[in-house]
Amino acid sequence: MATLIIKDLHAEVDGKEILKGIDLTISQGETVAFLGPNGHGKSTLLNIIIGHPRYHVTKGSIFLDDRNVLAMTVDERSKAGLFFGMQNPVEIPGVINSDFLRASVNAHSSKPISTYNFYKKLDTSTKELKMPFDLATRSLNEGFSGGEKKRNEILQLLLLEPKIALLDEIDSGLDVDAMQTVADVIRKEQEKGVGFLIISHYARLFELIKPTRAIVMINGRIVIDGDPSYIKKIDQTGYEFIKTELGIEIDKDELDMNKVSIGECGIKEIIR
Amino acid sequence: MKRNDLHDESSLGVCSSHTLSLKENEQVQLTIKPSEQNYVFVSDFFAGSVLNITVEENAKLQLSLLVKNNFDGAQINVDLGKNAHISTFFADFSKEKEKIKVSINLNGEKSSASWHLASLAAHKDNKEFEINILHHAHETTAISNNFGVSKDQSKLVFSGCSAILKESHGSKTRQNSKIMVFDPECDAVARPILKIDEKDIEAGHGAVVGRIPEDHLFYLTSRGLDESQAKRLITFGYLKPIVRGFQDESIRDEILSLIERRM
Repeated sequence: MATLIIKDLHAEVDGKEILKGIDLTISQGETVAFLGPNGHGKSTLLNIIIGHPRYHVTKGSIFLDDRNVLAMTVDERSKAGLFFGMQNPVEIPGVINSDFLRASVNAHSSKPISTYNFYKKLDTSTKELKMPFDLATRSLNEGFSGGEKKRNEILQLLLLEPKIALLDEIDSGLDVDAMQTVADVIRKEQEKGVGFLIISHYARLFELIKPTRAIVMINGRIVIDGDPSYIKKIDQTGYEFIKTELGIEIDKDELDMNKVSIGECGIKEIIR
Repeated sequence: MKRNDLHDESSLGVCSSHTLSLKENEQVQLTIKPSEQNYVFVSDFFAGSVLNITVEENAKLQLSLLVKNNFDGAQINVDLGKNAHISTFFADFSKEKEKIKVSINLNGEKSSASWHLASLAAHKDNKEFEINILHHAHETTAISNNFGVSKDQSKLVFSGCSAILKESHGSKTRQNSKIMVFDPECDAVARPILKIDEKDIEAGHGAVVGRIPEDHLFYLTSRGLDESQAKRLITFGYLKPIVRGFQDESIRDEILSLIERRM
């Protein structure tokens, strides 16, 4: 049974410290609800675990059992059993979804999957997610609705069979029926022993998948690591109790304006 | 369709497919007769080759070129009659230094043209594509889509002008140019130009030259592909759509194989 162990993790982006000492352990079989106001570092932590180049770890460690995750490249982390379902999956024009999915499956296997077995697996998984099969033949995420993109993320989870899955607001953009479908799939994966760390702002998904723990991140630190009852408490009363009961002031989320806007006629030359 | 190549003239029939081969410095005249529909695959196109095409009233031509040789100084000149249409697919896997000039004249009212280019420049290749689309008549439409990949120490230039001239009211034109650069020493330029001399028209252009977006690479590598696999998949997807312009499956396979090999 794999365990992800994060110790005293500090990290920054663009010179600004976002994570200020994270200690967290997640094992296969656990489902951890990851809560906290916007802009306090939840997505940053998930990006750092999977290795996004924009974020820089300044101190601390992440291990998957005895393997040093921070020493791995992004693809090695995936192959080691970590999966990151993204909040805003990118659209990649021209890259056909099924080509990408097959290449990803092959990257996780010592032997390339046969065409028959791949399409059989793809067919089973798309049916499970109630996805139209033609999504597999379109450019990766291009023109997908918000809900289709999220289902495509879960489709990848099914195909890649990770040990620990990190899901960032996987429920946003899903209608009620789609959320039920995704929750059903997550429940099946829970039964297979996949560990989950799931960010969501809504209790609905958590009601359906029954997390085993809840953690709350405030100001770049995990201030609560406890039982799932916090999900209901936060859903009903918000984060005010953090201040009144724990005495922690909650920093406000500051949004920077976009620095550059290039219109249709813009010519962007990075290398000349 | 008629082929007049200075030596020979023959009718090639209606609604049919043909393969055309041009020699070095050879000039060929293709004429698509009124209301004919033709698919022409150009298998050889060399330095100094000149392909003059006339698509007459109500005729349609799909012209598909797979170029693997040096075509420096080559030209393609197209004249479109009333309500005529041409779709051109140019798959460029040539090597070395070369420049081609393409002129598409929309002479007849309601004529239309679409141009699709996929070009791969590698090593010390130095390539320039000058694509000029001239709207001479009213309610004409044209789109020019140019996709390129530049790697190693190569240079790739997409230039040309889409011009909506007087008496061309109600016309629409659009230019899209995208070049993906792979290495610090390669050079890529996209210079889209619009010239508008008439009112009541629609025109637009877009040009992007840049590296593979970091978030695209991150997404693919986060699914277990290493960086070279991810780059190959993105490049493949970038150039692959050109194959839809080729009817013969063996030609489509050859294009895919050329992308694989040259990347």
